[in-house]
Amino acid sequence: MNRIRITQRNQHILTAYIFVLPGLLLYLIFIIYPMAKALQMSFYKWSIVPGNPSKLVGLANYTRALQDPVAKLALRNTIVYTLITVPGQMILALAVALLLNNIVRGKIFFRTLYYLPVVTSWVIVSLLFKYIFQSPKGVLNHLLVNVFHLIQEPIPWLRNASTAMIPIWGLGIWKGVGWAMVIFLAALQTIPQELYEAAAIDGASSWRRLTSITLPLMRPTLVFTLVMLMIGGFNVFTSVYLITNGGPLQRTEVILSYMYHQAFDFLEFGYGAALCFVLAVVIVTISFLQIRFLRRPEEMGL
Amino acid sequence: MSKHKTFVFLSLVGLVILVLLVTTCAPAATPTPVVVRETVMVERPVEVVVTPTPAPAGPVKISFWHIYSEAEMKMLEETLIPRFEAAHPNVTVESVQIPYNEFRRKLLTSIAGGSAPDLIRSDIIWVPEFAYMGALVALDEFMPDFDTYKEAVFPGPLSTNYLSGHYYGLPLDTNCRVLVYNSAMFEAAGIATPPKTMDEFLADCQKIKALGEGKYCFADGGTYAWAVNPWIWSFGGDVTDPDLTVATGYLNGPKTKAAYEFLKGLVDDGYMHPGILGGGVDTWGGFGNDEIAMILEGPWFPTIFGTEKEYGFALMPAGPGGPISVVGGEDIVMFQQSQHKEEAAEFIRFMLSEESQLSMAEVGQMPVLSALLDTEYMKNHPYYGIFLEQLKTARARTPHPNFTKIEEVYNLAGGAYLRGEVSFEKAFGDAAATIDGLLTLE
Repeated sequence: MNRIRITQRNQHILTAYIFVLPGLLLYLIFIIYPMAKALQMSFYKWSIVPGNPSKLVGLANYTRALQDPVAKLALRNTIVYTLITVPGQMILALAVALLLNNIVRGKIFFRTLYYLPVVTSWVIVSLLFKYIFQSPKGVLNHLLVNVFHLIQEPIPWLRNASTAMIPIWGLGIWKGVGWAMVIFLAALQTIPQELYEAAAIDGASSWRRLTSITLPLMRPTLVFTLVMLMIGGFNVFTSVYLITNGGPLQRTEVILSYMYHQAFDFLEFGYGAALCFVLAVVIVTISFLQIRFLRRPEEMGL
Repeated sequence: MSKHKTFVFLSLVGLVILVLLVTTCAPAATPTPVVVRETVMVERPVEVVVTPTPAPAGPVKISFWHIYSEAEMKMLEETLIPRFEAAHPNVTVESVQIPYNEFRRKLLTSIAGGSAPDLIRSDIIWVPEFAYMGALVALDEFMPDFDTYKEAVFPGPLSTNYLSGHYYGLPLDTNCRVLVYNSAMFEAAGIATPPKTMDEFLADCQKIKALGEGKYCFADGGTYAWAVNPWIWSFGGDVTDPDLTVATGYLNGPKTKAAYEFLKGLVDDGYMHPGILGGGVDTWGGFGNDEIAMILEGPWFPTIFGTEKEYGFALMPAGPGGPISVVGGEDIVMFQQSQHKEEAAEFIRFMLSEESQLSMAEVGQMPVLSALLDTEYMKNHPYYGIFLEQLKTARARTPHPNFTKIEEVYNLAGGAYLRGEVSFEKAFGDAAATIDGLLTLE
């Protein structure tokens, strides 16, 4: 009896492995192998021509990354982008989710509408934002100068580093709100209605209901969204690449756009790979700290 | 409660209208060329066995990658290739068109994967880099009749194929930038003839500025080599010494300084469109809307810009160094990984024949054979004349394997200097020192 059970169990495990295998293979080939390869490249002055030996340079690419002023600026720009777009997305998404949760008519319509930016192509909306912020004849300048008469001269948004990040931040927030909103909406629907009814009987204001019922019960969702959005924020690339291409004078470079220029324009594949791993270390550390300190043990299923 | 819901509903409607307003103001005008590149990992390098010259037994296919425009590609695929295949029944040519911005990346990936094409039509500035990588065949060694072709083509375009003692390709077409001026704006400003010297250029700029707000004398897209080198050379300066060994004393020399000071003057006086400082400028759009009076353009300008506006061509204004412009164009090069080198060489010979060169000239490709200069076709061409005149003195950008990096260094220095953020001595002293390092190959 005992033996039969073990065999059955083994069979179950075997079946499970067979089901996991295709996914695992794809994961190994398309995620793990390129990552390992990139890690290897980061220790070399990598030559792309077959037969030409690559030169092992040890940690030189990493020390260069830590001393490169443009890499530092790129890292700073990446962090600032994350610090601005993540709270921006979360606050707006929460506001929209709360509004949507309360309306009766047109819920699906609005939900779809706010989700639309999420599913549109980064390329298309990046070019759209570039067009809006163009100078002197972009849509925004036209509105500010000719329609609302708020300013006299058009602002050369993309010509100065101080203003060139604004369209990039704006795009990051606008495009991400829908994604966080859908997740928040789902979380809102799991909150038992009785709690609100009880609170109403106790005479709690709607602000009090938000801070004492809604937000605490949404906490796991908020932490999850925060972590995911932070990772997404650190990976900003397409919008920067298409709107400013790192310019003017490399001042809006983020880590990934700078990595891309190093690798594919200057053939510095080793250095580009090292930059990627520097970014990876930053992301993993921050995500780990977030989960460690923001999630409570009972929420982690421990 | 229901009032509250109505308010929520209405505020959502308001938000939607805002979003729609933003999205419906979508660009209808001037679609800028889109650069869509994505990160790819380079394949693992593989040892490639290169068969030197296999006997031409059986049908052979050679691949030819290029960046021809639609009209040019039509000529290539419907006239030239059939002509070549008729003369060489055992060979077929596969023509592959790749957009400019993807070309280099795609090619690098294919080289790394051991599957490079037999031939490509390469931008002249890429050839030294590919040659230095060891990816190209030295044509002067491989083609016994190379000298015939070497002597038949213009020396300037030919020089872009040269690296440490060998020629790695042959020029296929050539071009350069000349001054294009807006006839309507010139007339309004009272300018009778296009400027011949830098002083005349400045005088004309004053007149253009007097036309009013938002009128610019000149515009260019940035401080990259293609834009600034004509000014540097015309003022008698240079990026490096003629042997490409040192930049210090050249890039930061007094003549180059005069060129950059001239450009900075144009910016500071409001003659130059500020787009050169970053953020880009739609030079063709501004030219078409009578906002920009002069631009530098190549021989593709008439066919693509169209004939709605009246404009004229003139040589680059002359400075102390003369009226010197920048050479562009393409070379045809053969890859080491090619399995059919003899057939590929045959196709190179075919593309450099007078007949092929004249066919491509009809669709806007300026030929590179000196012999064609005296033909009726070239003499009577509506605008090749001015380009050929300018080409006599036009020069190539630093033909060095590290060109891409070198250009980036002085592009950034020029941008910072024109913005007035740093002195010429500081910006270009540092840039020249960096380029000195890049000129030395390991």
